[in-house]
Amino acid sequence: MARTKQAAAGSSNANSSSVNGSQKARSPSPDPSDRPLGPLAVTVPAYDREVVKVNNANLTELKNACDDAVKRFLSRPELFKQIYTHTDVRLGLGWLSVFVAAGTAFYGYKIDFEQSKPVVTVGLILYIILTVLSTLYAYFVEGDTIFVGKRKTFSKRIITERITLSSSTPPTPKVSSCPSYSVSLHYVRSTNGGKTLLGRGRTKGAAPYNKFFDANGVMDQPAFEKWVGGLVETAMDGKAA
Amino acid sequence: MFTEELKAFRRLGFRHVLLQVLNFASVIASGLMIWKGLGIVTNSESPIVVVLSGSMEPAFYRGDLLFLTNPSSEQYKTGDITVYKIPGAEIPIVHRVMETHDVPKSIDIRKYTKSKSKSKPQPGEDSKQDNQLLLTKGDNNYVDDIELYQGLEWLEKKHIVGKVRGFLPYVGYVTIAMNDFPQLKYALLGGLGLLALIQRE
Repeated sequence: MARTKQAAAGSSNANSSSVNGSQKARSPSPDPSDRPLGPLAVTVPAYDREVVKVNNANLTELKNACDDAVKRFLSRPELFKQIYTHTDVRLGLGWLSVFVAAGTAFYGYKIDFEQSKPVVTVGLILYIILTVLSTLYAYFVEGDTIFVGKRKTFSKRIITERITLSSSTPPTPKVSSCPSYSVSLHYVRSTNGGKTLLGRGRTKGAAPYNKFFDANGVMDQPAFEKWVGGLVETAMDGKAA
Repeated sequence: MFTEELKAFRRLGFRHVLLQVLNFASVIASGLMIWKGLGIVTNSESPIVVVLSGSMEPAFYRGDLLFLTNPSSEQYKTGDITVYKIPGAEIPIVHRVMETHDVPKSIDIRKYTKSKSKSKPQPGEDSKQDNQLLLTKGDNNYVDDIELYQGLEWLEKKHIVGKVRGFLPYVGYVTIAMNDFPQLKYALLGGLGLLALIQRE
């Protein structure tokens, strides 16, 4: 709570210039006095954290644990609501292709080979198209994205925020150093049904995995959440890190 | 043993469970589609078969894997090794062609087959391409296959599943083992399923 008051007092004169989105040549920094709650400001009273323990040597498990922690952290009440569009598209295309495959195989099983050939060919082509579409979507449209969230708050007007996080494990240059978790955020705040842009921020951050996981593979969740929360709040303030 | 996984599932939500099951289902689906695709491409109902008997020794032994194709314009010749299936018999047989007689399109092949079945003439099916009458025999057998034809005098092209193009020795024993011990099949499928359900990309 102290943080937002401080910011508001310091830049009340910036208020008038940053509200009009039309005259901006570059991304405006969001108006601090309008700023909704950041994740670090929302402290949910010590909820039951489940201990997260992963295999330290498996990079995929480490990354997945971090991704899951980010999703849990940002989906808490009062914070962002996760938008599942990417997941739903993948699920939809995937399950459709499974049903097409099952139907084609069943048809081929019931009907004689010669008569079933045209239908089976059609089913096969359909399956290939769906699978290719799903793969292309996951590779190009979804990419590294792990979390897309939206939030509507009401202070003086209805403010809509949208945050997109993507994470990756970039290859480490030296063999001896620890691989790191790199996360990049894109944050947009707007009002008036998305027509007036209030602010935008892009942040990147990277931290080695050994900062959050101890020798046994137990994850230090408060430390991780503090780090991610700091990055989100930086993006919300509009500073490009 | 599964409490860890069950807890993780509850934590991650319904969509995650759907995604994991999709992983497993799509592995099975892609396997099915590859099999069907292979069948379409080779124009054969069962493009990969396992040799079950020793009737083609020393060429093929029990447990060999055979790769077949059945192009529609193929005219089989004496010496070709074919896999055929008699209607009414469950298991396809792999033997060598001994005699062939080409039957041009204009002649109705049923005059020569004297088949005991009273099947109605199928319009257009046999008259599109040159048909053939074939006689087969296993290399390791003393007599030809007339006994196996269940009343037919000759094999027709429609009975042929395909001609052998290549083979892999011993690999077929896996299939034989899974047929003789069905528990192995279920254990394998169960193990695969478990792996796909628990693993995350």
